[in-house]
Amino acid sequence: MTDAKNERQIKISSSDNEIILVPRNVIRLSTTINTLLQDLGLDDDEATNAEPIPVQNVAAPILRKVISWCQYHYQDPVPTDDSDSREKRTDDISSWDTEFLKVDQGTLFELILAANYLDIKGLLDVTCKAVANMIKGKSPEEIRRTFNIKNDFTPEEEEQIRKENAWCED
Amino acid sequence: MTAIYDMTRRVTMHDVNQDVNYDDMETDMQDFFADSNQPNYDRPQSTIEKLPDKVLRDIFQYLSPKQIISVGQVCRRWRTNSQNPLLWKFVSFRPSYGGIQVNPQCMDFFLQLIGTRFSELRIVELATDLITPNVLHELANKSPKLQYLTLDFSTAMQLHDFTDLQTFPSRLKSLTICLSENIFLEGFLRKVYTFISSVETLHIIGTYEKVEDEEEEVYETVNVFKLKQFLPNLRVVNLWGVPFITDEHVDAISSNCAHLECLCVNYCAKVTGSCLKLVLQRCRKLRTLFLAHTKLDNNIIKSVDWEKTRIEELDIKGTELNAEALISILTRLPHLRWLDASWLENMTDQVLEAWQNSNAMGSLQFLNMDTCDSLNEQALVDMIKRHGHQFHGLCLGGQHKLLEYFWMNMIPQLRNIRVMVMGIAEDCCPKVVAKIHVDQFIDCIAQNCPRLTRLEVRWDDETLRFSDKSSKFIDVLRMKCLMLHSIVLSDGQYYELVRSNFERADRMSVVRTTEMCRTGLLHCSRYFNKLLFN
Repeated sequence: MTDAKNERQIKISSSDNEIILVPRNVIRLSTTINTLLQDLGLDDDEATNAEPIPVQNVAAPILRKVISWCQYHYQDPVPTDDSDSREKRTDDISSWDTEFLKVDQGTLFELILAANYLDIKGLLDVTCKAVANMIKGKSPEEIRRTFNIKNDFTPEEEEQIRKENAWCED
Repeated sequence: MTAIYDMTRRVTMHDVNQDVNYDDMETDMQDFFADSNQPNYDRPQSTIEKLPDKVLRDIFQYLSPKQIISVGQVCRRWRTNSQNPLLWKFVSFRPSYGGIQVNPQCMDFFLQLIGTRFSELRIVELATDLITPNVLHELANKSPKLQYLTLDFSTAMQLHDFTDLQTFPSRLKSLTICLSENIFLEGFLRKVYTFISSVETLHIIGTYEKVEDEEEEVYETVNVFKLKQFLPNLRVVNLWGVPFITDEHVDAISSNCAHLECLCVNYCAKVTGSCLKLVLQRCRKLRTLFLAHTKLDNNIIKSVDWEKTRIEELDIKGTELNAEALISILTRLPHLRWLDASWLENMTDQVLEAWQNSNAMGSLQFLNMDTCDSLNEQALVDMIKRHGHQFHGLCLGGQHKLLEYFWMNMIPQLRNIRVMVMGIAEDCCPKVVAKIHVDQFIDCIAQNCPRLTRLEVRWDDETLRFSDKSSKFIDVLRMKCLMLHSIVLSDGQYYELVRSNFERADRMSVVRTTEMCRTGLLHCSRYFNKLLFN
């Protein structure tokens, strides 16, 4: 792709109908939008004045945050696939990302939903790591309290789980 | 534009748990109509329960098997997701290494799990009590993707009866066998031989750490001569601390694997190197040779045709080679990229000088000369002035002669350094009399080494001079060396200072003590991942 094309601004509209401009090479990180642009031939020069792309699941405040993440990371090297490696690390979140993820739980989950919907792998990875770090070292009860999850097991089911888990009891 | 709508929606439907999604969209639509003029309206708070199943599993994949068992007790939806086989690709059943302890009374249930939950297994580690015909049979039939298998016999008192063993995982890439001192494995391996020809990485882990009395009889618990006949595709062979391994065994292995790239016989105390001549002739692809703490013989080492090899990585740590032999080997390895020459009494200034003059140091990127007491400052200064820019890793810890003056002058030469180790702790050496002004030191690193990832400074509080103002310099280090993810310091006040500085900036688990952690260069070896066994 030429530089001129990379500098093109893409219009996207949030669920609350706000229109945001993003450089083409930044929004590339969203596989959803990237594929869309390619498939619909919107990368052609004539398509410059196209209508905004609706992202109807993400509200403007979150969308702006997502784009700021992409703007910082769009030049990152493509991560290698480590699906066969042993335990996956969660202590390798960069300091910029750590700062970026200093948000309340609600916002964190909104970011995850947005990253999943827009298919931004790097953002999904780092936000999932952040949640994994909140789970690590906690008992089931502590996890419920941390995330405000209702225990929906019946007493019979709890008994059943206890029996089943006997195979791996220390 | 309708087309776009359809496409975006399709992606959502595909991925997202449907109930949740419809709720979400409904709220969105209501919000849209009610508040479209106010961009910063309050949305209902998202909770973790809104995350679709797929994302929940994306999160769980970062947890260990034990933690996944724990999240399976939180609620129904988490339970279902925690049992997804894709989350169970790597499972260790070696309790002594943090793995899951399987309750012997639940073996039937465990066998059943192999067919259901463990159908996607890639890597599994089994302790002795689980190495049974039944378990191996189930793994062979129900875990078709299994590629890495560890069989830990190190705690074995006796073996199960393998007479009935008919099958064994047959697509393995890597096989690790941890030996016990006196349990003979031939009876078991005889049943297994025909299934393991695909193995490319073989680890045989000996009992080096357990050997206390040198006089004690050593049992040859594995028949290497037999084993090698069934392993024609080996690329990495790691015989770690196996007390009975001699040059004959290594020679035998090499006779059947032309593809060998990495050979490690660290801590095999009987190996003298007499096999090397043939091994290097047969295995032309051999690039990595680890011979730490072996009994290398000077004359044998000198007689090897090193110049005809492709050796890029060499470990001769803790051997007793004399200066002449060291010169002979180092000056004839023009491709050497990684060298561990630590704990060598005979690594002298003359060796270093001869090595430099031979022009064989041109590819060197990683050099470990920890605790080479015979080296003097000037020889190292000469080397770093000439080759410092090419170093990615340099360990010069444990050298009491290298003090502030040396490092302040040398650090600016190490512009590409990633890993750096320096200093020496008080209690293990002649007293360090001079004091180290650590602030200017840290500043010097911050200004000159932007790519630093690991730093170890071993001087303790007795030697280091620091003050209240030190934190300012640590700030600079933290901001300038953004890739720094491990700092190892001697336990004490300075360590506390650095640690709290990094933790205040939310960079947790970066700063550690030398008691907990040591920095080396092994992780920079090309074969590091393949050499991991615990």
